[in-house]
Amino acid sequence: MKDTKRLYIFTGKGGVGKTTLSKSFTRLLMEHDHEVAYLTFQNQSLTEGHKGTTKKIQNGIQEISLDLEECALNYIERRLNSKMIASWIVRTPFFRALINMVPGFSYLIFLGKILQMQNDNPRLIVVLDAPASGHALTMVESTTNFGNIFGSGIIFEDTKKMLTLLNDPDYTKIHVVSLPSLMSWQEAMELKAGLKERTPVDVDVTINNALYPLLELHLQELPDGLRQKALNEKKLIDENQNEMLCVLLHSLSQDNLTIESDLVGSLAKLI
Amino acid sequence: MALSTKSFEIFCGTGGVGKTTLATARAQNLADSGLRVLLITIDPAKRLKDLLGLREEAVGEVVPVEINGVKLHALLMSPEKTIQRMSKKYNTPDLEGNRIVQILSKPYGGMNEILSMVELQMQFDSGLYDVIVLDTPPGAHFLDFLESLNKISSFFDQNFIEIFSYLGQKTARAGKKFFGLNFINKVISGGVKKLLTYLQSVTGAQFIDDFIEAIHIIYQSREAFLKGISLKEKLKSKKECNWFLVTSIEQGKAEEAIEIRSHATHFIHQDHYLVLNKCLESKLSNWSPQNEDLTKIKNSLELKEINLKKQLKDLFPVVLEFPEVMSLSPNDHLLHLTKTWKSHAL
Repeated sequence: MKDTKRLYIFTGKGGVGKTTLSKSFTRLLMEHDHEVAYLTFQNQSLTEGHKGTTKKIQNGIQEISLDLEECALNYIERRLNSKMIASWIVRTPFFRALINMVPGFSYLIFLGKILQMQNDNPRLIVVLDAPASGHALTMVESTTNFGNIFGSGIIFEDTKKMLTLLNDPDYTKIHVVSLPSLMSWQEAMELKAGLKERTPVDVDVTINNALYPLLELHLQELPDGLRQKALNEKKLIDENQNEMLCVLLHSLSQDNLTIESDLVGSLAKLI
Repeated sequence: MALSTKSFEIFCGTGGVGKTTLATARAQNLADSGLRVLLITIDPAKRLKDLLGLREEAVGEVVPVEINGVKLHALLMSPEKTIQRMSKKYNTPDLEGNRIVQILSKPYGGMNEILSMVELQMQFDSGLYDVIVLDTPPGAHFLDFLESLNKISSFFDQNFIEIFSYLGQKTARAGKKFFGLNFINKVISGGVKKLLTYLQSVTGAQFIDDFIEAIHIIYQSREAFLKGISLKEKLKSKKECNWFLVTSIEQGKAEEAIEIRSHATHFIHQDHYLVLNKCLESKLSNWSPQNEDLTKIKNSLELKEINLKKQLKDLFPVVLEFPEVMSLSPNDHLLHLTKTWKSHAL
């Protein structure tokens, strides 16, 4: 088995199956005896009634959902060595307004938290189910941007460390998930190009939910619309195969848990 | 139902797959009925730009476009251009002169959301359009953003911003050593001063300088920002705005729709529509495959779709279904979807 990275980021437009895929990938790593957390961002602005960071074991997977306010609080507390001052800062209207006006800030806080968790636990691998695609660019870019904004000081040093890990191909790997339709594919390729401009780590595109391989043998028996769908998929996959890390089949199961387990065996290339 | 006579139509939701195309088809549909339409979109795929005939130079500018013989205006948001327009309209200082503002207004700098509100307000003020169709920035969180707007208005809260503004002027004149100055101690409220001191201890002094300058500049543009923020009330009003929450069958995840619904109750009035894209059902229902494998596939696809629709119809007052378009040509997609909009007669 290949050496694993420490941080796997799954991104792509909404509805492409990122969640199923990243959870399934988490299972794959667990089968190889790695300590893995499946991680999502709970919120991207500071609103009332947030739940706080939650950690739970769901169907055998360690799921962590990061809460922005709690992460911000932890960071400031760590840096200023005072819980009281940190909670005062986080509560100031000014601080809240600033974070909400500039969502890029939240990524910095979240990424900082992830890397902190991994620093505290050197065995921990994180599978990040990132928000939809424009945001992945914001996430990568905000780290660079804030590095430039701060220029010096502790946050600057922290941001620099963050950037070093995000830009380290041995540490981080990004998977763009796409459906086997032309529009989804082209968007995925544009996203990949955007990410490649901003970071030197591996960015691969995985095709999810391909129906064509299931229908291939029965093309003549299909109703027109479905045959056309199958043929469009075939054309896309044939023409772009060398750009696709792997092509995952549509699952006939109805529940996500079964789909997740069915996929595990097909994901070795994503490591 | 009559065709919309509302000033705004907002498209949002988790489904990036097809949201922009649906919004474009809607704009075409509205323009076709004789309305003056502006379509504002952020970060569309290249093929949509090609389809609208928009060249790189056109990014950030309102341009007339013609799709399938229908004329309307389109604007591909560029934060930089929005800021320029804003400075011009409100006669504010050059926002871009500041390092922090410059970085934040890059295309992915993270100010897309607030600037799209400012842009929406400016275009509405122009009085040139009967309806503005907004395709919101990607991601599930535009609604989160809208909910946080009252927090953002507190950014412009007189009490401490006046002080920043004052500081900004002083630092511009007196150079960087404002922290030691005596008058600051009198002027500055204890809270802000403390905050700055803490900030400085982690960020370094250069940042504080730039930061105060940025706040100063942004504060001078407060009218533009506050007007943009106040647009929220119009978007909340049933009379002025239609909301379309887009999801697609492929997603097959009722949880996400439920999540959208819970956001919707916070922010959106009861007149909103769930748009369910890429439905296959009509193509499947008349098909009776003779072979066992195919029967399994058919049943699985059909069941997924039926279950999802059932769940969604319980949650949303109106579910608008759109078929999956099998063509490879983006223009065919638009034509089909526009036709479906027409049949929904909304």
